[in-house]
Amino acid sequence: MVLRRYIPILIVGFFGSFTLFGWFINNETVEAFINDDATQWYDIIASFAIFLGALNLLKLQFLKVLKRQSGWQYSVVAIVSFFAVFIIGFFMRGAFIVDIPATDVQETYFTQKSAEEAIVQLKDSGVDATITPAPWGAHIQTEGGLFKWMFDNVFTPLSATMFALLAFYVASASYRAFRARNFEATLLLLAGIIIMIGRVPAGGLISSWMIMYMLVLVLGIIVNTYFRHRQIVFGVVALGLLGVTLLGSSMGWPVDQPSVFYLPDLQEWIYSVPNLAGARAIMIGIGLGIIVTSLRYIFGLEKSYIGDQ
Amino acid sequence: MNDNIKRYAIGIVGIIVVTSILSQFHIFKSERAFMFAVLLTVIMVLLNEIQNARKDSESIFLRTIPGLKAVEEAVGRSTEMGRPILYVPGIMDMNEVETVAGVIVLGHVAKMTAQYETDLDVPVARSIVMQAAREACKESYLSQGRPEMFNDDMVHYVTDDQFAYAAGVNGIMQRDKPAACMYMGKFYAESLLFAETGNGIGAIQIAGTASQAQIPFFVTACDYTLMGEEYFAASAYLSKKPELIGGVKAQDTVKLMLIGLVLVALVLRAFFDLNIVPFNIMDWIG
Repeated sequence: MVLRRYIPILIVGFFGSFTLFGWFINNETVEAFINDDATQWYDIIASFAIFLGALNLLKLQFLKVLKRQSGWQYSVVAIVSFFAVFIIGFFMRGAFIVDIPATDVQETYFTQKSAEEAIVQLKDSGVDATITPAPWGAHIQTEGGLFKWMFDNVFTPLSATMFALLAFYVASASYRAFRARNFEATLLLLAGIIIMIGRVPAGGLISSWMIMYMLVLVLGIIVNTYFRHRQIVFGVVALGLLGVTLLGSSMGWPVDQPSVFYLPDLQEWIYSVPNLAGARAIMIGIGLGIIVTSLRYIFGLEKSYIGDQ
Repeated sequence: MNDNIKRYAIGIVGIIVVTSILSQFHIFKSERAFMFAVLLTVIMVLLNEIQNARKDSESIFLRTIPGLKAVEEAVGRSTEMGRPILYVPGIMDMNEVETVAGVIVLGHVAKMTAQYETDLDVPVARSIVMQAAREACKESYLSQGRPEMFNDDMVHYVTDDQFAYAAGVNGIMQRDKPAACMYMGKFYAESLLFAETGNGIGAIQIAGTASQAQIPFFVTACDYTLMGEEYFAASAYLSKKPELIGGVKAQDTVKLMLIGLVLVALVLRAFFDLNIVPFNIMDWIG
């Protein structure tokens, strides 16, 4: 009971306080512990813990295959891939560098046999070359080596495929978010349109006067929604159009004036004022939440991480 | 309230005195004195609010957070449909506070699944998270008197890699068709991959994260989203423990103090620019 409950709380309390208050202490040893040692300790523990995860993964995949659960075929792929990468990473060097000393030319071969065949061919052509096996450890990062080849040609494209799916998901999510269902959604839609158009070069070509004319028409729609009176709507729209035309004539129709209706300026304002204000409010909340949660752990007020509910 | 203000005023004066004295010593980094004072203030407020909450936590008002109310609804829905609940505690390790908060919420969700006898599936991306999440679930099932329902493999490891994990979890969603998906932790680009797949299978989705860049994606694709501080208040809201509720109140009190500090700094800085006061507050804040 003491081991399970109090020892972890003491460890968290001690190292938490030490790391927190150590930030204010002017001492090289303390600084080195906080900045390097503590994080390295964590990395070492996490590296060893990976075995737990790997064993769990294998156990579940094997069980799935043995019980012929739905999608067991994928588990076969997972198991084969796991062992293939494990064997290639730990037991196969897979990187034999054929070096021609007289030149800078280097070629890497997966097996020693293929490297030796290349040497024979080079010797037949009158070129002297040597084989240097990549050192263990570095072999996984050697350009042209088997592990690196697998990483670059199998793993990276698969990851890129998942990442690329985001483009389609962003499109479908945006479609749902930008439907003008209510006032807030309409506001989001408008802000989104302004930001998108304002950020592309074509947005700079749209005159602020055109936006003003469009706004007069939108105003007409709003007036019509509330009053449903043709003469009032006509009056508002006519006056609006006349006002914009007169103002434009007097100012000489500059594309970017008044800047409040110029899309690149407007999007910049939306982005750096209301958007940033909202983002900062969330950020301050997050910061406070993290501080208070961390302090609860350090003081032993929150013990859920050891299963204490 | 008056007692609190009096306590805080005395406390802040004390903190300023202590910080000023410590600043005279070489061992103390005097350039971080302001941060030190702020930290001590937060600790003081936290301890005081927890003490107050222990005496009377009923009087503390916790506003309704729809996302947290929906957790029970989601568990109920899963029970009715006879389908599992998928809980994703983010893709980062236990050194991230968000992951820790995610594991805490998992404990509460596990309590509900134990009560309702619903299957819970927790794929994780880190081995240490797997161990912590197992402990949390195990304790929840024990506390509900259903230890036989707990199974170590309900919390299982997938992979450390971000997109491989996303692919694995999406595969689980497509095959098992969970009735509810919960995403509570630290997320990056995979957030939308999860949320859209969950949306595609028609699951009720609840997300909670402090990853600011991912909040819009979750808001768009999920039914409920706990944003920032709401996420950290989840534990208090679900457990109703006085110490945790006191922590939430402390957060709000510190926020109020920060607003006051911002206003005072704004005025003092303006006065400095107008040559009314001789010192620049920004130099002191650092």
